[in-house]
Amino acid sequence: MTGRVAMIARNTVFGFLLTLLAPLALAQFPERPIELVIPFDAGGGADIEGRLLAEGMSRVLGVPVVSVNKPGAGGAVAYTYVKNARPDGYTVSWNSTSLLTMSNLGNVDFEYDALDHVGRVEFQPMVFAVPANARWDDLASFAAECAAAPNTLKIANSGTGSATHLGALSLMSALGCEVVHLPAGTRRRNATVLSGEADAMLAPLTGAINLVKARRFRLLATLSSERNAVIPDVPTATELGYDAVFELFRGLSVPNGTPEAVKIVLADAMTQAAGSEAFMKLARQVGFTVDTMPAAAFDALMSAEDAKVKAIMVGAGLMSSGTVGR
Amino acid sequence: MGEVLLQGFGQAAAPSSLLATAIGSVLGIVVGMIPGMTISTGIIIVLPLTFVLDPSVSIALLLGLYVGGMLGGSFAAIMLNIPGTPSAAATAIDGHPMVARGEAGRALGVAVLASFIGGLFSALCLFLIAPRLADIALGFRAPDLFSLVLLGLTVICSFAAKSWIKGLLSALIGLAIVSIGQDPVMGTARFTFGSADLLSGINFLTALIGLFAIPQLIDNLGRAGPDAHMSVAPTSFGRLIPTWADIRRIRVPVAIGSVVGTFLGILPGAGGPIAAFLSYDYARKASKEPETFGHGAVEGVAAPESANNAVTGGALVPMMTLGIPGDPVTAILVGALLIHGLAPGPLLFIERPDFAYGVIFSFFWANIFNLIIALAGLRMLVKLIAMPKTILMPAIAILCVVGAYSLRNSVFDIYVMLFFGLLGLGMRWLEMPVVPLLLALVLGRQLEENLRVALTGSQGDISVFFTSPFSVLFLSLAAVSVVWSIVSSRRSAKGAR
Repeated sequence: MTGRVAMIARNTVFGFLLTLLAPLALAQFPERPIELVIPFDAGGGADIEGRLLAEGMSRVLGVPVVSVNKPGAGGAVAYTYVKNARPDGYTVSWNSTSLLTMSNLGNVDFEYDALDHVGRVEFQPMVFAVPANARWDDLASFAAECAAAPNTLKIANSGTGSATHLGALSLMSALGCEVVHLPAGTRRRNATVLSGEADAMLAPLTGAINLVKARRFRLLATLSSERNAVIPDVPTATELGYDAVFELFRGLSVPNGTPEAVKIVLADAMTQAAGSEAFMKLARQVGFTVDTMPAAAFDALMSAEDAKVKAIMVGAGLMSSGTVGR
Repeated sequence: MGEVLLQGFGQAAAPSSLLATAIGSVLGIVVGMIPGMTISTGIIIVLPLTFVLDPSVSIALLLGLYVGGMLGGSFAAIMLNIPGTPSAAATAIDGHPMVARGEAGRALGVAVLASFIGGLFSALCLFLIAPRLADIALGFRAPDLFSLVLLGLTVICSFAAKSWIKGLLSALIGLAIVSIGQDPVMGTARFTFGSADLLSGINFLTALIGLFAIPQLIDNLGRAGPDAHMSVAPTSFGRLIPTWADIRRIRVPVAIGSVVGTFLGILPGAGGPIAAFLSYDYARKASKEPETFGHGAVEGVAAPESANNAVTGGALVPMMTLGIPGDPVTAILVGALLIHGLAPGPLLFIERPDFAYGVIFSFFWANIFNLIIALAGLRMLVKLIAMPKTILMPAIAILCVVGAYSLRNSVFDIYVMLFFGLLGLGMRWLEMPVVPLLLALVLGRQLEENLRVALTGSQGDISVFFTSPFSVLFLSLAAVSVVWSIVSSRRSAKGAR
């Protein structure tokens, strides 16, 4: 009996000490500034959104979260830097679908799983845009013309193998269309459609919204799973009967081998920052959807998206099926 | 339209923008005045500081520096007979004899006034031409743009070099360097040796820091002896504000300089020095007493001064409307805008008309501040010519390294900058101009992208370059500029013999 009481007492004390120690162990992270690596140039969508998230996270974590742009090679520079960083949680990558497109183009010797993923923050749609004075009223009339005259209509994208190119490939295959894909580049994509050189384009909503507001572009469809609140009148391709869904995600990644406890702290800060009023306001302005997703679900999403990217790339001959699963 | 103009005006007239313009103008005058520092070096040094500023504020600062630098360069040319910037060389011909005659104030006053009028005229041209040109440029397709960029490169090669072969070689080195990195169309790696840093290519701003600043620093190293303090001869200038008689005398030279400067500014590659000498020459031919030129004629100060400041507004026209810079300074401005996510080009006037007009209005303000600051602070500013190089040059060296790093937060880029410094020294030794190389770095990607997009669109048919009227026009102009420079270099070679 006494032994038992003693044991309970001992366990209680031990347990009490543990509960004291648990937050202490966590409190060790973070104790110095965290670097949030942004894979694109300052001023772009990735930068504006990433910086705002970093501000929110530093408020939650109590240490500065410093945004550092490491642009170049479709994100390859930044992802390589974070992959090779020390796995202590102090180097975090702001990721996006570019992680999948970049790795599958084959310029780096790693795949998306060379990083550990903390969670998704948001997703945003790609849109199918035509000039405001174009002869097509809807996606069906575009599809009809394209079926009648294959390989004459031209669709601009931001570069071969970029998300906009893959989106165009998947939409065109859903429409049963053969078109010429023009890799116009991010800077010239919109202008190529306005000059009439290309008939339509695929673009992230954030990249087209200014010209839609200026009444230079009309949006025939979005490739999202549901209608977007910023463009409520634009139907999804699925709604119109064409099975093409391609959404751009953004989230956080850390080097492989980062301690689980650290990832949990980061994920918690990420979720709180994403839910902040400032971040929500930006989302409403430029048209992305805040929808945080924990690590496990995000891993599953990325694995599915990676398979989709590979399938589209193999189908378009951008990647031989032999290199899949390399 | 009216609303957009108002927004642009508001952007340029915001207190923060005005303050930035004024600070830029002071910095520009100082940088331009110090022999051994060019406007490019000044802008390179300030650039990293502008990353944290709002785009409209940072562009206001850089424009102030550009305009101020042109004037500052002339102060050194007049006072010391050492042009602070290459564009000011023509001003020294008549400016310095005036100082020797004890008319320093008169020479400086005329220079300030002529610069103001030249700058203002070019600002007006920018305001009137740019939006219309942007409208036309919106219709340009990939074949047209390819031909336009090709024209730009050939004009630069033929203007920048005494020997067009050296100019062409310099541009080709630039084009070769541009091919490092990710293929702009297919996304595959080229010449990267598996390095992620090389995969992102060579940033032209990094290259520019090395090409321009490092040879300049090395130059100054030799001159930084104990007598590095230069003495500024006169301490009293006399009357600064030009007299009515002088204003009447400089009417025609200023008009010539403004028109020549603006026109040559719009042409890529010609730039300040050529405009200044050309308008000096025209003003002499137009003068009733051409024999006074070279011996301290106010007209000889007024013409090149109005011309080199008119070049600034002219050079902004192709930069804003086509995204094609004509000189190193506008190349840096393109880079500065890109860093803020604003791509200069015809779309800027549609997507962000408020910003585009804001830039134009900021340019107006830069000229106005330049006049006020120069007239009010001239006596004090001129003393800065004597700033010791032993303090200045190490500071610049540090800022070059900081600047190269901070463009992309990459240590690798510091080595790239140093590499281009060595390249710049080598090219100088070979008497090869670096400007074609630099502009090939800026334009090379556009050249390749447009060529390949044009051929993708036409499915490999090269006739697209000869069926669009714009493309044909640009290609023929390119041919003319090449032939013209070959003929003129043959002729001057014969003349030398």
